[in-house]
Amino acid sequence: MHVTIHIVEDDPGVGDALSLLLQQLGHETIVYADAEAFFRHTPPVDGDTVIVDLCLPGMPGMQVIRWLKSLNLQLKIIAISGQPQASIRRMLQGETPDILLRKPLREEALTKYL
Amino acid sequence: MPDSYTDSLAMTASVSKARLLSVLDTAVDGIVIMDESARIILYNKACEALFGYQSEEVRGKNVKILMPESYAREHDGYVRSYIDTGVRRIIGIGREVKARHRDGTEFPIELSVGEAQTPEGRQFIGIMRDIRQRKLVEERLSKAQAQLVSMARINALDEMGAAIAHELNQPLTAIMLYLQAIKRKSEGVVGLEGVLIDVIDKGVKEAERASQIIQRMRQFVEKREPERKPVDVPTLLRECVDLVTLGKMGEGVLLSLEVGEDMPELNADPVQIQQIVVNLIRNAMDAVKGCQKKAVDIRAWHDEEAISIAVSDSGPGVPQENLANLFKAFSGSKRSGLGLGLAISKSLAQNHGGDLAVDPVGPSGGATFTLKLPIDEPSAAGE
Repeated sequence: MHVTIHIVEDDPGVGDALSLLLQQLGHETIVYADAEAFFRHTPPVDGDTVIVDLCLPGMPGMQVIRWLKSLNLQLKIIAISGQPQASIRRMLQGETPDILLRKPLREEALTKYL
Repeated sequence: MPDSYTDSLAMTASVSKARLLSVLDTAVDGIVIMDESARIILYNKACEALFGYQSEEVRGKNVKILMPESYAREHDGYVRSYIDTGVRRIIGIGREVKARHRDGTEFPIELSVGEAQTPEGRQFIGIMRDIRQRKLVEERLSKAQAQLVSMARINALDEMGAAIAHELNQPLTAIMLYLQAIKRKSEGVVGLEGVLIDVIDKGVKEAERASQIIQRMRQFVEKREPERKPVDVPTLLRECVDLVTLGKMGEGVLLSLEVGEDMPELNADPVQIQQIVVNLIRNAMDAVKGCQKKAVDIRAWHDEEAISIAVSDSGPGVPQENLANLFKAFSGSKRSGLGLGLAISKSLAQNHGGDLAVDPVGPSGGATFTLKLPIDEPSAAGE
């Protein structure tokens, strides 16, 4: 099933590569360099997928995830991070995202959840 | 009251002798007076405790009785040589030597020797201080310092490993995804299959290999959790101050330590916490170098949740332009070290569930770094 995937990722290389691959898989993608850019955009709708890097400049990724959950939409939320485990634990602040993938990301790891 | 002054300055023999004896017996240090042939004339109370002999037992005996064999053998020669040549080797210089207790135990003392010309001939006065305690402290401190240095190395490696793993992760992720995207794109395109796909597959494999190396490195680094035990903060801080002043006498810096009352115990890795605090104090001492006022204040206090330890200095403070990168690895402006000190300190603090923050211009004019550590930090949750 092809969906719209929002990618909130500050590393331009990762954002672009992720978007390109997901497009190859037939999905529609939008890349945002930070949480603020994502908020300025039209919010996601039921059935969308959102990939959020936990470590973002400005507003942290976990806050984006919290906001998305508060929307009560049918969204698939995937958190990604290249940080060490201890930093991830700090960023999560006791919460657990539904899906957490650690970088380096692989196609198979991603497609499993799409 | 000029009369009483005159009285107290009276130098009648009996008054002055009584006064001298009282001074000798009150002294904390061992005091021995010997004559030119090294015979003990006087042996004070402190010596009795120090050597185990009573005054009557040693009076008139050669002072060698208080020395270990190796010194005793040479001592007569030393005294003779001084009397013959007048060349001073210990008089007025003082040094660390070994003494011997009645029971045979040898122990380190600090010995200073003076001489006096008396109507009864030349006499030598030896003042001896037991430095066993000081030696023990020095040994313990130098051990602690060695441990700190080796911990600092390990942590620097960990931190570097983590930093490299993270920095490489991003481009590696991009490379893998790009390659997989090209592969998708070329699939089904006539003529492209064979060689091209094969090469892309190889590229992906190599990128995966690199990513496995990074993951292994990351697992290795992440295994190290702080080894927590109950820590008495005031003791730990005093040790930190001892450690930084060890062998330096503070370099003219006024160090003050102020600890709040009823400080609760901290559940933490003492070596890591000590490493943070020592690092902060050293930085502060560096910061005040060349300043008119050289003061470093260390304060500790607590509330219900956390213990805070603040290190403030009277230096110039942290320049605005350095603030953003202050805690980042490899950003230090100091020529020595790796610029990892503050980065590691912060990540050690965070590993303990706490944090390290800076006020660039604190109360004493310079910077204030505050280390905050939670009192009841449960050990880190399992992955």
